[in-house]
Amino acid sequence: MPVGYFSLILHAHLPFVRHPEYPEFLEEDWLYEAITEVYLPLIFIFQRLHETGAAPRVAINVSPPLCEMLVDPLLQERYTRHLENLLDLARKEEDRTRKTDTRYNDAAKMYVENLSVSLDLWNDRYKRNLVNAFRELQDEGVLELITCGATHGFLPLISTEETRRAQVEVAVANYKKHFGRQPRGIWLPECAYEPGVENILKAAGIEYFVADTHALLYGDPRPRFGVHAPVVCENGVAVFARDVETSRQVWSDVVGYPGHPFYREFYRDIGWDAPMKMIKPHLHADGARRHLGLKYCRITGKDVPLHAKLPYIPSLARKKAAENASHFIRERISQAHKLRNTFEGRTPLVVSPYDAELYGHWWFEGPQFLDFFFRQLHFDQDEIAAVTPGDILDSGLPIQVQQPTGSSWGENGYYSVWLMEKNAWMYPYQHDAERKMTEIANKFTAQSAKVHPHIADPEPGTLNMEIGTRILNQAARELLLAQSSDWAFQIYKATTVEYASRRFRSHIHRFDLLYTMLGNSEEVTLSPDHLALLEEIESRDNIFPEIDHRVYCT
Amino acid sequence: MAKKSKKETPKNKVIEFVLDELEPVSSAKSDKAKSVKAEAAAAEIKLEMIMPAEGTVTEPTPALEPAAAKVELESRRPATEELDLPKLPILKKENRARLQVQSPQRIHFYWSLKGNPYQALSHTLGAETAAYTLVLRLINTETEREELHPIEPEGSYWFDVDAGRVYRAEIGFYSPSRPFVRVLFSNTVTTPRKSPSPRASTHSDWRVTAHKFAEVLDASGFEKDAFDVAMVGDDAEEADTLTHAAFAQLLENSEYARDEVSAEEVRFALAAISSGYTLEELRWKIGPTLFTILQANRERLGSEKTAAALSDYFDIDQTEFDEEEFGSAVGASLVHFPKRFRTRREYSPMSSSTIGMR
Repeated sequence: MPVGYFSLILHAHLPFVRHPEYPEFLEEDWLYEAITEVYLPLIFIFQRLHETGAAPRVAINVSPPLCEMLVDPLLQERYTRHLENLLDLARKEEDRTRKTDTRYNDAAKMYVENLSVSLDLWNDRYKRNLVNAFRELQDEGVLELITCGATHGFLPLISTEETRRAQVEVAVANYKKHFGRQPRGIWLPECAYEPGVENILKAAGIEYFVADTHALLYGDPRPRFGVHAPVVCENGVAVFARDVETSRQVWSDVVGYPGHPFYREFYRDIGWDAPMKMIKPHLHADGARRHLGLKYCRITGKDVPLHAKLPYIPSLARKKAAENASHFIRERISQAHKLRNTFEGRTPLVVSPYDAELYGHWWFEGPQFLDFFFRQLHFDQDEIAAVTPGDILDSGLPIQVQQPTGSSWGENGYYSVWLMEKNAWMYPYQHDAERKMTEIANKFTAQSAKVHPHIADPEPGTLNMEIGTRILNQAARELLLAQSSDWAFQIYKATTVEYASRRFRSHIHRFDLLYTMLGNSEEVTLSPDHLALLEEIESRDNIFPEIDHRVYCT
Repeated sequence: MAKKSKKETPKNKVIEFVLDELEPVSSAKSDKAKSVKAEAAAAEIKLEMIMPAEGTVTEPTPALEPAAAKVELESRRPATEELDLPKLPILKKENRARLQVQSPQRIHFYWSLKGNPYQALSHTLGAETAAYTLVLRLINTETEREELHPIEPEGSYWFDVDAGRVYRAEIGFYSPSRPFVRVLFSNTVTTPRKSPSPRASTHSDWRVTAHKFAEVLDASGFEKDAFDVAMVGDDAEEADTLTHAAFAQLLENSEYARDEVSAEEVRFALAAISSGYTLEELRWKIGPTLFTILQANRERLGSEKTAAALSDYFDIDQTEFDEEEFGSAVGASLVHFPKRFRTRREYSPMSSSTIGMR
C-alpha cells in the first residue's frame, strides 16, 4: 500500500480555429505550435515510458474541438507544411549558428533533432492523426481519456437546461466517435461548476468531474479529507478537486519550476530577433513577424531584460528538469506523510490538474519533467503511486457524499473572468440563440414527424426535411461555437480581443442567418444563393459532422 | 436609491401585468397565475391582464420570425461576402430578465421590455401613472431585503450582494405610496459560498471536528479559512453569538442589522482590522451590507480596539495576518491560486466537546 496516491490530470484544449477561406491564418498556428511543442512530445514520452515499463497513469482531456481539429484533413495538411517549413528553417539556422553564431548552436541543433523526430512521428508513426495516438495510449492502459464541454462552453453561464445538456451530450457522442467507448470523466470547461450540473453529467453516463479546490472545501457538509479524497454528489457523480500545493509548485510564475533561470525563455523568438531577409521565406505571405518557435535564450534571471538574456543550453535545462522531478517526488512523499497523519492513516490522493499546453509550450522542458517524474516515480521509490480518478473509483474506497459549491479555477475562483464589464455584452446574444435553438429544434422535430423524412434529390427552392435538418444541425454548430468560453476569456485577458470578438460575432451572425433561412412557414423556398450560403457555412464550420440537432429538443 | 425593507411601504403589494396583450396562461402554469392573482387581490387592485408564468416572462417564445434581425435573403450579397462581414443581429425587443452570478459578491442582470411600459401602465391604471417610476428591484428572497434602482426599458446592471444567498430581480413600477407594479421577473440565482460550510457530516465515517477540519484546510492551502474554523470551534451557534456580541461591543450599538451579515464574515473583518487592514482593503473581501456598517462606524474601528473586542470573546492572544501572493500562472491560464494567509496562531479551537467527536 503506498503512502499516497498522485493523479496528474491534463487538459488539452484549443478553440476550434480553422479557416479554409484563407490559404494561411495566424490563429491556426495555435494548433500547429501545440502539436509540435506539446501533443507530439507528450504522446512520444508516454509511449516511451510505457514501452520501458515505467507504467505511467495519467488522465487527460483531449477536448472535442481539439479532437475535431486533429482529424481534419485540411489542418493535417497545413500542419505538415508548417512542420516542414520549421524544420527547413531550423536546418538553415543550425548551419548559420555553427558558422557565425556558435553561442546558439546547441539550441539550433536541438531544434533540428526535435523537429526531425516530430516529422517522422507525425508522418510515419502516427500517420498524421494524433487522435489515434491518444486512443492507442488509452487502449494500452497509459491514459484515461476524459471528455469536456463540446466547445468548452462555460456551463454556469449557459441559460437553458437544453443547451447545457447539449454541451455535454454532443461531447460524449464525439468522444465515442473518436475513442470508441463511453467517457468515464469530464473536465468541466474552466472547472466551472454550479449545483445541478451533476444531473446533466449523470444523464450522460459520466462518472466523475474535475473541480477546483474550493468546490469541495466550501461544499456542504465539510469534507472530512478536504481535497485529498474525492466526494460524490447526491446522485452518485464523483468530484475530484485540485490540490493547491502541486499547482503552485509547477504553475506559479513566482515560485513555480518553469521560472528557473536555466529554462528556455518563451518571449525571445527568432521570429522577432532574426533579420527579416533570413526569416521572410518562412513567414506567412503577409511577411508579418510572428513567433516561429525557435527560441535561443534562457530565462537567465527574473529581472533580466529580454535583450540581456543568455544563450539557452539544452543540457543544463534537461538536468534541471530531472532535479525538479526529483524534488517534486520528494515533496509528494512529504505531503503524503503529513496528510496521512492528519487523516489518521487513510491514504491521501493528490489531484494535480494542469493545462496540457503548460507542458512544452509555456514550459518548454515540461515534457522532460514529466518523463523524469514518471521514471523516478516507478523505478526509484514506492511510497507514491500514480493513479487516475477512474482507478480510485474502481478501488472501492468509501466516498463521502457532499454538495460542492459553485466555483471555477479561474482568477478569484468563480466566474468573473468570463462575466465582467468587457464581455458581459455577449450574453444577451448567446442566450437569445440558446432559446431559439430549442425553439426551432422542437418545431422542426414536430414537423418532421408528419413528413416523410427522405425526399430524394431535393429541388432547389424547396425546403425539404433533408435541407431543414442540415440547417438545424449547422445552427447547432454555430451556437456551440459561439458558446466557447475561449472568446470571453480572450476578451477579458485583452490578448486577441479582435479575433475573439469577431469569432463570437461570426457564429451568432451565422446562427441568425440559418434561423432566418429556416423561416416561419411549413414550405419556405430556399434559393440557389441560400443553398450556396448554407454550403459555405457548413464548409467553414465543419465541427461535429455527426451532430443531431434533436439534442436541443425539450 | 436607498435599500428598503420590504415591510416599509405598500409597494410590497404587487400588481402584475405584461406589456402587450397576452396569450393565455397554459394549464400547467395555472398555479403560478393563481398565486399572482391572489397577491394582486391583496393589493386591492383589479387586474385586467394576467401575468404569464415565469418561463414565458423571462424568455418568451416568439414566432419563428426574428423580426428585428430579419434579412431579405433574396437580396443578399454573395455568400462569402455575407460571412466575411459578421455582424450581430439586432435583438428583438422582447421581455428579457436574466440574472447571472459573477462571484459570491457580485451578480449581473440584463433586461429588455417588449413594448412601451408606460403605455401599458397607463392602459392598466388609467390616469394614476404619474407617480410611478420604472425601476429594477433586486430581492434577497431569504431576508426579503431589496434594493431599487430607476431604469430605462433596456439595460444591464451589476449588483454587490452577499455570498450564499438567493436573489431574484424584478422590473416594475415603483411609487412611494402605492403598490409595486411588477412587469416581469428574472430567474432566481444562488450566490456561491465563499467560506467553509459550518456543518460537519452526521455520518460517523465523515464526521470531522473543527480542530481536524482546520488542519485539513491548512493542508489544502486555505489558511484563512482554517483560522476561522479553528477560532469558531465546534459550537458554531455559540461562536456566532459571541461574534455578534464582540461586534456590538465594538460598535457600541447592538442594533445593527445582524440578520443580514454573517458572523463568519464579521469575524474575518474584525480579525483583519485588528491586524492592520484598512476598510478600503476590505472593500471587495466582504459583502456590501457589512461594509456599509463598518463604513458608518469607521471611527470606532481602530486595530487595537478591534483586537481587544475579539480577545474579550475568543481565545485569541494575538492575530497577525499576512497574505502571501503566488503571482499568476505561467502561460495563458488565469488559474486561481489562493493567497497564503499567515497567522501566529496555532489551531486550538474553543471547544470540541459539544458534539462529542473523535
